[in-house]
Amino acid sequence: MGTFIQQVFNGLTVGGIYALIALGYTMVYGVMRLINFAHGDLCILGAFIGLTMLTSTAGSGHPGPALLLLAFVVAIVLVAAAGVVLELVAYRPLRKADRLAAVISALGASLLIENGIMLIWGPEVAVFPSGLLPRITWHAAGASISFVQVMIIVASIFLMAALYLFVNHTRFGTAIRAAAIDQDAARLMGINVNRVIAIVFVIGPTLGAVGGLFIGIYYREAYFTMGWTYGLYAFIAAILGGIGNIPGAMLGGVLLGLFNAFAAGYVSSSWQNAITFALLIAILLVRPTGLLGERVAEKV
Amino acid sequence: MDAKLKPLSQSVSIKGDTLFSRRIGLKGARRIAGGLWVLGLFVPALFDNAWISIAAIFAIYGIVALSEDIILGRAGMFDMGHAGYFGIGAYVTAILNVTFGWPIFATIPFAILVSAGVGALLAAPLIRLRGDYLLVATIGFNAIFVLAMRNNLGGITGGSGGITDIGVPFLFGFQLASQSAMFWLDWVVLGIVLVLMRNLDASEFGRTLRYLKQDELASTTLGVDSRMVKTLAFAIGAGLAGLAGTLFAVQISTVSPSSFVFTESVTLFAIVIVGGQGSIPGVLLGTALMFILPQIFRDFAQYRYLIFGFAMIAVMVLRPQGLWPQRSVRA
Amino acid sequence: MSALLELQGAGISFGGLHAVDDLSFAVEKGHIVALIGPNGAGKTTVFNMITGVYRPTKGKVCFQGQEITGWQPHAIARAGIMRTFQTIRLFPAMSVFENVRAGGHLRAQQYWWQGMLSLPAQRREETALAERTHEILCKLDLDRFANEPATSLPYGVQRRVELARTLAAEPKLVILDEPAAGLNDAESSALNRTIFGIRDSGITVLLVEHDMNVVMNVTDHIVVINFGRKIAEGNAAAIRSNPQVIEAYLGRDENEAENVT
Repeated sequence: MGTFIQQVFNGLTVGGIYALIALGYTMVYGVMRLINFAHGDLCILGAFIGLTMLTSTAGSGHPGPALLLLAFVVAIVLVAAAGVVLELVAYRPLRKADRLAAVISALGASLLIENGIMLIWGPEVAVFPSGLLPRITWHAAGASISFVQVMIIVASIFLMAALYLFVNHTRFGTAIRAAAIDQDAARLMGINVNRVIAIVFVIGPTLGAVGGLFIGIYYREAYFTMGWTYGLYAFIAAILGGIGNIPGAMLGGVLLGLFNAFAAGYVSSSWQNAITFALLIAILLVRPTGLLGERVAEKV
Repeated sequence: MDAKLKPLSQSVSIKGDTLFSRRIGLKGARRIAGGLWVLGLFVPALFDNAWISIAAIFAIYGIVALSEDIILGRAGMFDMGHAGYFGIGAYVTAILNVTFGWPIFATIPFAILVSAGVGALLAAPLIRLRGDYLLVATIGFNAIFVLAMRNNLGGITGGSGGITDIGVPFLFGFQLASQSAMFWLDWVVLGIVLVLMRNLDASEFGRTLRYLKQDELASTTLGVDSRMVKTLAFAIGAGLAGLAGTLFAVQISTVSPSSFVFTESVTLFAIVIVGGQGSIPGVLLGTALMFILPQIFRDFAQYRYLIFGFAMIAVMVLRPQGLWPQRSVRA
Repeated sequence: MSALLELQGAGISFGGLHAVDDLSFAVEKGHIVALIGPNGAGKTTVFNMITGVYRPTKGKVCFQGQEITGWQPHAIARAGIMRTFQTIRLFPAMSVFENVRAGGHLRAQQYWWQGMLSLPAQRREETALAERTHEILCKLDLDRFANEPATSLPYGVQRRVELARTLAAEPKLVILDEPAAGLNDAESSALNRTIFGIRDSGITVLLVEHDMNVVMNVTDHIVVINFGRKIAEGNAAAIRSNPQVIEAYLGRDENEAENVT
């Protein structure tokens, strides 16, 4: 029972992070029908920027939480800027081209960012400083839940709720949903689709930078290839939920986090990834467009 | 179905021929390709061992990239797990040779058949997935394959270190041990694959793949059994990749999981799109850019992927159809 | 004598909506039959049911006395039914010649490995396929467009290319979805002659058409549907004077009603 509760909390923590990153994949896909393979690397870029902020401000005498907040803000601003530039340079010129051209451009951007991180921060594993957050651990029914976990879970829920409200209850959110259904029709209704896409490339990387920094803080490390690993997981989460579907990405992230935690807790961890991929393939076979994705019938 | 088509009498001029004569450019290109291939045979006479091995690697990856192009470029299925089939072929040869003591050439049919079989088994249920979902599922297959090899599946794959000391092939009593001999083997196989690919493009099956890629619904109402054809395309592409896997195992004399990771699949995918889908010269050009250029610019090794990434974006933005696209009637 | 194609109480519903319901009619061998009805009556849906694009949710579809309900589209094509599409579906990156040759897919007997090895039998078949394609192009007056990119041609020519593609398969039944749509008057009367030509070569024709000039002049038999149900059936004269048909058309569109009466 203790293990069970422990794995639920571990799963929710990781799942929250997956969901934050998955939202970036799913929103871009929803509006542009493009898998933004560079998204995972953008998130890890956020982790490294945050880390640099934390190490350079450490010992300045200011309280830890304030420094942490500053690190988040700087990481978000820079990563969101990188996202907008990415869209402008690598994706916008290809909007009318063969979809595969954009896929390759995205893969290229991923390599570029990943190796850019390696050249700037080096190929070694970077360690996050300790003592930023209160070292509180709650014990209950044989499980221990740390302050970091609670912070990540609460923050993820808060951000997802905010996104949900933004997309469903604001004018701009309506514009995003309209552009996702039919770009041309949205344009005819006076929606500035370029601006919608730019905003999506601000929101996605913003959530992604938070997710990336959470990864760094939770595991207390960052390395340049992390973007692929976690990006792929988040992407699988988006696919599980039905890519293009915002609640789907949230659901997929949490389910995948829980699934991973239990696979690691009860099955050998060396097969954990294989089981995750097998689950992905199995779900696609049963529901080819994910859990919440809609089946699209071709009009003849 | 029932009545055989009657053969063409010599006197009739066929529109197809006019179409063909328009391809003189293409025919010329083929002649140049043939000439380049013959020139390639002299690589061992003109260059040192380092270059011979680079040329051998080019031949091997050229075959893998061409086989990826059958699935991705011709049939239009987003296969991003192709390094997996390549790896299966390499592992089959390594296991049969090292563990069971088979001669290398005897392992070739099995390398091809096992890869093709896995390709077909995987493809048959996944084929109904569209576009991006198929891409994700094939990524999953690649990841599972690598993890299975790493975890020493069945105790025969050797774990992370893989399998070492793969033997050298014997042909008519001669040991193909020197780098030159192995190069010639790779080069001849590449030549055979090139001819097969050319024939494929001029056959009903090759055309059927293009029908499916361009309009699946129209194709099926013309009688194309899309499931069967797509599965077959997957099997053929995977089988050729398996063949290349054997050559790879021989060339490197070691197989390990890291040679067949997802990044390799991404590279193969990129070669096809950057080079030009369905275009043999395009795919070979792409292979050369991805595998030979890095050898030349070794001093910049740490910038390799940075430059790749930049080049992939630049090529797609400037030439979305690829560097050397397939001839198309569309102007 | 049994009909070539027969629908028996066939119907299909999408999420509770009965797009086509309890539809029965027969197409006799050697006839030209038209399926007409106001916009949205479900004509194209009927075609999609016959050709296997949609699976009927009830009833039966029989072809040559054999039930083909729920077969895959390629199996139905193999049985001898070929179709065109209301929204022309030519292969976009191919020439007219290549498009029409695609129609010969089922006539090709070569295996994939014969093609990859370029064996003599396969090469002979390729030449024969090219010749046969050329013949069809000449028959439909398309030979001068043979090397043109198919989708760059005028609408009328594209429709003819699509028709040629179905004929290349030597079907027993061709199903034409609005073959006259987008054609000018000259092209439309040429189409009448082409349809007669197809029938005279022994192929049965079933078509959906709005152009009453075509429908009234070429058909042996007309089936009228509205709201997914059959409202009348008979020859041109009978349909023209059928009050239910007139009402159905008047209720929708005056122009078409004038054409009918």
